[in-house]
Amino acid sequence: MLGFLIGEALRDLRRAGRVAVAAVLLITLSLAALGGFWLVSTNVGQATAHWRDRVRIIVYLKREPPAADLQALMERVQGMPGVGAVRYVSKAEALGTLKQVLGKDASVAEQLPANPLPASLEVTPTAEGATPDAARALIATLAALPEADEVGGGIDWIERLARGQRLLDVIGLGVGAVLALAAILTVTTATTLVLHARREELEIMRLVGAPELVVRAPLLLQGMLQGLVGAVMAIWVLIALYTIAGPRLEPLVSQTLGLERLTFLRPQTVVVLMFAGTMLGGFGGWLARGRTER
Amino acid sequence: MIELHRVWKVFAVGPVKVPALSDVSFRVGKGEFVTLHGASGAGKTTLLRLLYREELPTEGEIEVLDYDVPALRVREVAELRRSIGVVFQDAKLLPGRTVYENVAFVLRVLGTPRREITPRVFDALRAVGLSSRAQAYPAQLSQGEAQRAALARAIARNPLLLLADEPTGSLDESMAAEVLDIVKDIWAGGTTVLFATHQARLAAALRQRTLTLVGGRLVKDEG
Repeated sequence: MLGFLIGEALRDLRRAGRVAVAAVLLITLSLAALGGFWLVSTNVGQATAHWRDRVRIIVYLKREPPAADLQALMERVQGMPGVGAVRYVSKAEALGTLKQVLGKDASVAEQLPANPLPASLEVTPTAEGATPDAARALIATLAALPEADEVGGGIDWIERLARGQRLLDVIGLGVGAVLALAAILTVTTATTLVLHARREELEIMRLVGAPELVVRAPLLLQGMLQGLVGAVMAIWVLIALYTIAGPRLEPLVSQTLGLERLTFLRPQTVVVLMFAGTMLGGFGGWLARGRTER
Repeated sequence: MIELHRVWKVFAVGPVKVPALSDVSFRVGKGEFVTLHGASGAGKTTLLRLLYREELPTEGEIEVLDYDVPALRVREVAELRRSIGVVFQDAKLLPGRTVYENVAFVLRVLGTPRREITPRVFDALRAVGLSSRAQAYPAQLSQGEAQRAALARAIARNPLLLLADEPTGSLDESMAAEVLDIVKDIWAGGTTVLFATHQARLAAALRQRTLTLVGGRLVKDEG
């Protein structure tokens, strides 16, 4: 019976002809748009996570503390809410780091009469402490330390990146939804044409007492097939875009977002897109099937 | 098998009410061959449509194969129809399918196991003398052949009741005789037959119980 139903669904697809092709293309377009935004959003999300992990707050100290005072200071900072780790950077270590950064120009630093760099505490916030509000509160607490000269660092720009990612998700869903609506209507139109072409068959089916499932299932199946084909094509389009544009964009992305490689959609997302396409088509077929009822 | 009690069917055409059947009552027993005779517009088709629940009566009781027809739900209508074969004046064959596929189609939609379909289709085609035309399309058939294909489609399911709505109406005498012989063979196999015709000579030639409808009223039940 299943073979018969699928055979009838394929026959219906052929009957729908160009309208079915248009429906498949619209589903491809809507899912490719949605998937495209998801692809960009995934990579922006990765950049956000990457930078969030690397958030540091630097507390520049007025003077290099003696060993006993340093231990007490570090314990006080470690005990503050939102602090994950604390590392002391001495004046000498700071100068060493500067020389490394300067590379072949390191001799400039050697000509300085004295080490001008302050000692500092490098504070890594916890995950909870890495939100903009928590980070601002932590910075204020650290700035109030009597040993602190100045506090640097912040995560507002990372939050802006995260907001951008959320905006991309919303735009993607919005554009995808509008195109999906058009796709559903096109599948419905294609199915209605099929219904018109099949009216004699439907009449015979009802006359001989065919179960409603057998009458309706091919209509639903042909809609789902249109959706599945559209989804597979959308994924092909995304793979092609990723393969062609990815290597060209990677240098730019590396410099701006700090990501070495662009990543493609996760397998679960691909499955979700295919499922969404199948359901879109099925819904279009289901909307039209109401007209088979008497 | 079939029992109608004081059945009325009135169609509303705008504000005007047109009675198609008026106070019709009769019984048909299992295995009977009953001719339903009447001129065009007498109510034969309406009566047959009431029996397979294509129409609902305005008033009255209808029982077919122990089903209370007006009270049936959608699923039960399908159950009832699985036991009834219906043929029409226009054969209603599917134009894009061969004779074989037309007969096989109804078996498939009713979930007949695949291995049973071909033998049952050819049994039905042999019964109507069409096995050599199995691969022909409806457009390639004569009217008589098309009607025989429709009969094959109706009997492939081994129905308990055959409703024939003017199956010979558009056939010449020799073709009509062929179709009639086939219907009689089906009846001889144990199927109850209700055969509607407007042709008085044909009704008389059948020499079976005849119900005569005039203007929607059952005026004669003889034979």
